[in-house]
Amino acid sequence: MNRYFRELSVAAALALLLALLAVFAPHFYQPQPLLSRLTAQMPTLVLTLGMTMVMLTRQIDISVGSQFGLCAVVAGLVSAGGHSLALSLAAALGAGALMGAINGWLVAWMGLPSIVVSLATMVTWAEALRLFQQGKFINLPAGVQWFGLSQTAGQVALILLGLSLLAGLAFLLKNRAGGRHLYAVGSDSEAARLSGIHPQKVTFGVFVAMGLLVGVAAVFNLVQSPQVDPKCGTGLELKAVAAAVVGGVAVNGGRGNVWGAFVGLLLLATINPALTFLHVEAYWEKAIQGLVILLAVVADGLRSKRQSP
Amino acid sequence: MKRSRFLVSLLAIPSLLVLVSCNKSEPAAGSGSGSPGAAKKLTIAFMPKSKGNSYFVACEKGAREAVKELGVDLLFDGPTNTDPAKQNEIVENWITLGVDVMAVACENREGISGALKKAQEKGIKVVTFDSDTTPDARSFFVNQATPQGLGETLMDEAARLCGEEGEFAIITATLTAANMNEWRKHIEARLAAKYPKMKLVDTKPCDDQKDKAQQETTNLLSANPNLKCVMAICSPAVPGAAEAIKQAGKAGVVKLLGLGLPSENKAYLKEGVTQSVILWKVADLGYLTIQTANAVGQGTLKPGAKTFQAGRLGELTIEDTSIILGKPFIFNKDNVDQFDF
Repeated sequence: MNRYFRELSVAAALALLLALLAVFAPHFYQPQPLLSRLTAQMPTLVLTLGMTMVMLTRQIDISVGSQFGLCAVVAGLVSAGGHSLALSLAAALGAGALMGAINGWLVAWMGLPSIVVSLATMVTWAEALRLFQQGKFINLPAGVQWFGLSQTAGQVALILLGLSLLAGLAFLLKNRAGGRHLYAVGSDSEAARLSGIHPQKVTFGVFVAMGLLVGVAAVFNLVQSPQVDPKCGTGLELKAVAAAVVGGVAVNGGRGNVWGAFVGLLLLATINPALTFLHVEAYWEKAIQGLVILLAVVADGLRSKRQSP
Repeated sequence: MKRSRFLVSLLAIPSLLVLVSCNKSEPAAGSGSGSPGAAKKLTIAFMPKSKGNSYFVACEKGAREAVKELGVDLLFDGPTNTDPAKQNEIVENWITLGVDVMAVACENREGISGALKKAQEKGIKVVTFDSDTTPDARSFFVNQATPQGLGETLMDEAARLCGEEGEFAIITATLTAANMNEWRKHIEARLAAKYPKMKLVDTKPCDDQKDKAQQETTNLLSANPNLKCVMAICSPAVPGAAEAIKQAGKAGVVKLLGLGLPSENKAYLKEGVTQSVILWKVADLGYLTIQTANAVGQGTLKPGAKTFQAGRLGELTIEDTSIILGKPFIFNKDNVDQFDF
C-alpha cells in the first residue's frame, strides 16, 4: 500500500466535497470570497504547523488558543501605540516564545504530562488576558491592515507567507536531521536517547517553536482587520489538533506530516461554508466536523491494530 | 453705641438658637409626615461591575447628572476589574458606613444576594441596575431593555433599511444562548406579524467571536446573492460582519445592523458599511438608577407602583419590580460621535 495512503484519502474526501460544491453551489468559487476564506485560514494553518510538530514528538499543546489571544493583544497594543509592525511582530514572537518555553520546561525537564501542563497554562493565560483586557476590542491605526497594501495584495501576500512556512517546515521535517529527531523522539524516546539524541532538548525546542508560530499566527490575524478581538484565540487549539488528526498526524507520535495536516485543515475549513452554500442548518456544522474527526481517529486505530501483531 | 450693639447681640443669641433648633426639627417633621416637599438629603452608594469599563464610565456620567439635579450625596465605588468577591466587600463597607440606598450592577446574581439582604436588614434600601440579583435581595431592578423591545427594534430597523422587502440573515452568538434565543423569538414574531415581504434565509452562530462572525458573513454573502441585510445580535459580530461586507465590496449594498457598543463600530458607521447600531443610552441608565434610588430612599416609590416619574426621562412603566428604561436607542453615523462607550 502507498505510504501516503492516509493523506491521499483525506485529499480525496476534500476533492469530493469540492466537486459536490462545483455541481450544487458553483458560486462557492467566486474569486473574491474564496480569497477571503483562504486568507482567514492562514492563522489556523500556522498553528496547525506547530501542533503537527508537537504531536510528532508525542506531546500536545492545548494552550495555543489562549497563547494566540495573548499574543494578538500584545501585538495589537504595540501597533495601537503607534509602533511599527516589525516591533509588534517581535513582541508577539517574544510573548509566544516565553509561553512556549514555560510549557516546554514543565514538560521536558519536569517530566509532567503535556495535556495537564497545557490545560493549566490554557486557563491561566485566558484568565489573565480576561482580567487585563476585560474583553475590550483594540482599535488599530490605519496602515496595519493588509500591511498597508491593497486588500487583494495583502491577502495574496498572507497566503504566500503561510504556504512558504508550510513548504519550509515540510522540508525541514523531512530532510534535516533536526526534523528527523522529532520523529525519533515521538516514536521511541528511549531509542532516540540511545542513538545520541537529547529528547528533553528536542521536546523543549518544539514547545518554544510552537510558541513562536503562535506569535506569527497572531500577527497573521492582526493584519486582517482594523480591530483586535481579545477572544480571537478561543477554540483555536481544537481546530489545530483536529486538522492535524484528520490529516493523519498520529496522536501517539512519530507519524504524519505537515502536508497531511494542511489538507486536513482545508477539509475541516470547507465543511462550514459548504453547509451554508447547501443551505443546511447551522446545527449540523459541529456534528459533521466531529464525525470527520471520529472517522480519522478510527482509521488510525484500525491501521495501528493491523500493524501490531 | 457700644452698649446698644451689645444689647442687639444679646437679643440675637436666643433668636439664633431658635433658628438652629427649627432647622433641626423641620426635616424630622418632614420625613415623619412623608410629604415629598421636605425631602431629606440621602446618601446613595452606586456600584458598577467594574470602574475602568467605558460602558460604566458612561453610566456614571448619567448618575452624576441625576445626583446634581436631586442634590443627594453620592458614594461611587466598584472593583477595578470585574470581581464578584470585591463587590461583596464593598457592600459590607457600605453597611458599616450606614448609607441610605445602594444601587448595584451585580456581577454574580446569587453571589451578592446575601450581602444585599444583610444591608436590607439594617434598613438600607437596595436597587439593582444593568444586571439583577435575586428579586428578594432588592426592591427594584432598573432594566435597560426587554427582550421584546430589543427584538422589535431590531426587526423594525432591518425592515426600514431594506424598504420592508428582501432576504436577510442573522448572526447570533451561539444557537443555545438563552437571551439571544429570546430576542430571536421576538424578531421572528415581529417578522411574521408585520413584514410579509421579508424573508429570514439563515441564522448562523459566531461563538461570540469577531473573526468567526466575519467568516460566516463572507459565506452568507456569497451563498445568498440576493441578501439585502445582515442582522448581528451579539456585540463582537457587528464589526466582524462589517469587515466581511467591506472585503466583499458590498458596503451600502448589503445593509448591516446589530446590537453593540458605538465605540467598536464607529469607523464602520462612518465608512457606511454599518448602518445602525442598537443599544440603550447608557448614561440614561445611570441617570434612571439614581432617580430610582432616590425615590425608593424617600419612600415615594413603593412596591406595587405601575409607573415612575423619572426626571427628564418622563413617566416610565414598571413591570412587576422592573423599571423599564424604554425603547432602545439607534446609533448611526450622524449621532455616534456624541457617545464614548
